[in-house]
Amino acid sequence: MTHDPADRSGMGELPRDLSGLSLLYVEDETDARQMVSKMLAMNYPKLTIYSAENGAAGLELYRAHRPDVVMTDINMPVMDGIRMSREIKAVDPEARIIAVTAHSDTSYLLSAIEIGIHHYVLKPLNYEELFAVTDKVLEQIVLKRLVGEQNRRLAESERQLSGAQRIAHLGSWQRNIATGAMSWSDELYRICGLDPGSIQATYRDFLERFHPDDRDSIGRALNDAFAAGRTPEHHFCRIVRPDGVLRIVRVEAETLPDAAGLPETVIGTCHDVTELKQAEEQVRSLTEDLERRVIQRTSLLQASISELESFSYFVSHDLRAPVARLEGFCRALLEDCAVCSNTGCRQYAERAERVVRQIKQIMDAFNSLTHYARCALVITDVDLSAVVRRIAAGFMQSEPARVVEFVIADHLQVKGDASLLQTALEHLIGNAWKFTSKRERGVIEFGQTDRGGTAAYFVRDNGAGFNMKYVDKLFKPFQTIHTPGEYTWSGTAIGLATVHSIILRHGGRIWAEGEVDKGATFYFTLEENPESGTYLKKR
Amino acid sequence: MAESYILLVEDNPDDAFLASRIIGKVCSEKILLARDGEEATELLQRMELDGSYKQIRLVLLDLKLPKISGLDILQTIRNSDGLRTLSVVVLTSSDNDMDQERCRELGVADYIFKPMTVERLQRVLVSRKDA
Repeated sequence: MTHDPADRSGMGELPRDLSGLSLLYVEDETDARQMVSKMLAMNYPKLTIYSAENGAAGLELYRAHRPDVVMTDINMPVMDGIRMSREIKAVDPEARIIAVTAHSDTSYLLSAIEIGIHHYVLKPLNYEELFAVTDKVLEQIVLKRLVGEQNRRLAESERQLSGAQRIAHLGSWQRNIATGAMSWSDELYRICGLDPGSIQATYRDFLERFHPDDRDSIGRALNDAFAAGRTPEHHFCRIVRPDGVLRIVRVEAETLPDAAGLPETVIGTCHDVTELKQAEEQVRSLTEDLERRVIQRTSLLQASISELESFSYFVSHDLRAPVARLEGFCRALLEDCAVCSNTGCRQYAERAERVVRQIKQIMDAFNSLTHYARCALVITDVDLSAVVRRIAAGFMQSEPARVVEFVIADHLQVKGDASLLQTALEHLIGNAWKFTSKRERGVIEFGQTDRGGTAAYFVRDNGAGFNMKYVDKLFKPFQTIHTPGEYTWSGTAIGLATVHSIILRHGGRIWAEGEVDKGATFYFTLEENPESGTYLKKR
Repeated sequence: MAESYILLVEDNPDDAFLASRIIGKVCSEKILLARDGEEATELLQRMELDGSYKQIRLVLLDLKLPKISGLDILQTIRNSDGLRTLSVVVLTSSDNDMDQERCRELGVADYIFKPMTVERLQRVLVSRKDA
């Protein structure tokens, strides 16, 4: 008996993947056992082969390794093949057994069938036949394994889908247009407040889950989809659970065509968006509340600004008349005292007139200050660097003898009122110019730095500086922290108060750092998009 | 030649006193004083009737007056056939843009901010002579 295992012509395709499979071969004749084992190993290199010399040894090996296929002789000492097969079937009724036998009598066949031996190969052995039978059995095993694997994957994917639906609160459904048969996913049952599968899924029942007010519109939309094979717009509607709880769902549907392209099935989703809608509602109500508060605050702000307005009107009109009278009398006194011999009188008149001038200056300063709080902003793009360069050039021209180095950062672009920002920078640069006047070489720097994610612009000088314990007085009007006469004094000290007012109007912040004799740095921020206009209501 | 006048319309006695003092230093004209809008209007109408208004060299008019405002008097003057050519200088202590605009429309010769000074009144009189 010769057989070339490599020559498999005329035989079926080899089962695809045999790795992990094993075969037990039981034969009492040593030569035959060794020969057949060798041939099997050569023909099925990936198959693990066990061999035993009788039924008892075979059963033991079976129990130890649980091979996928058992190939057994029938007539053997100690335990024959029939008995061993019966024992193996008791362990695993699915065990696949190939009998190799010379028997062909009916009684043997009957008992073999009864045990569940479905395959046999007749002796004397023909390898071609042996391999054909083995191929067939192995193929069945591989196929079964494949189907099992696919079923496992399908179950896994269904489990995943169902889990995902549960997590996302997204139920799905499907309806056959011709038969009307409908199916719901487990999550759809849960969204409807039902146990999965607890009721028969029908289209009528589906529609009845919706709130009576929403039922017509959703029914119409879905019927259109069923009839015309169109995909309807998504719908938000309410589902009423058996316990009366309302859920808001977003329903979407899509028509799927059959092989001929005709609408066959409508599949749809039903997304429970109740929490989302509640959150939206909450946001809306919070926003409304906020807007109400903004309106309330704005009207308070407008009220206080209009009070300021009338106060400043009082200062600029009503107060001006008596002050002008006082000035008139002072002048009359001065003129008429020219003929009076009492020098004290003249001095008093002169001093009184100076005081009146001061009062008028303060009134002007006050009006100019309140102007910055009241005036309408005109917001445009402003190149602060260019503004500072212009101001610097002006100061240098005004006192060409002074040595002052200006360090100006380029391209500092902001949004703001160009004229007001120029006024603010004029005051800041003006202060720096003034307080570096006693330096041999003044340095005035304009730049930008980052303060907690916000751009802060700064004007720094190496001038007289100031004591930080007076820092709170800096931005208050009519206050100065330098001794009169030390530096030229404008008379009213509203420069920094003006800057403060302008920066506030731009939604910004201003602060200063300084050290006596080391210099001062003034920082300010600006709102990214300040609003044009004024807080004042039109009168 | 008949006597000429400067008509001062001023309600506040202090302002009237200060203005009269300056006018007295600068001008030889007799000062006619009206202490409110009504008095001024009546006086002007009477002078229009008897023709004596022609002797008014200058009207110094305060805008803020009881009863009839300075602007209304100005309007009356400009609407009247006789008075319309009168030279009116407004006296004011505040620079109210709206009033100034209205005054320009009604044709005032000048503004004087209170308190009036000798120099200021002289300048106004000189420029009136030139006009």
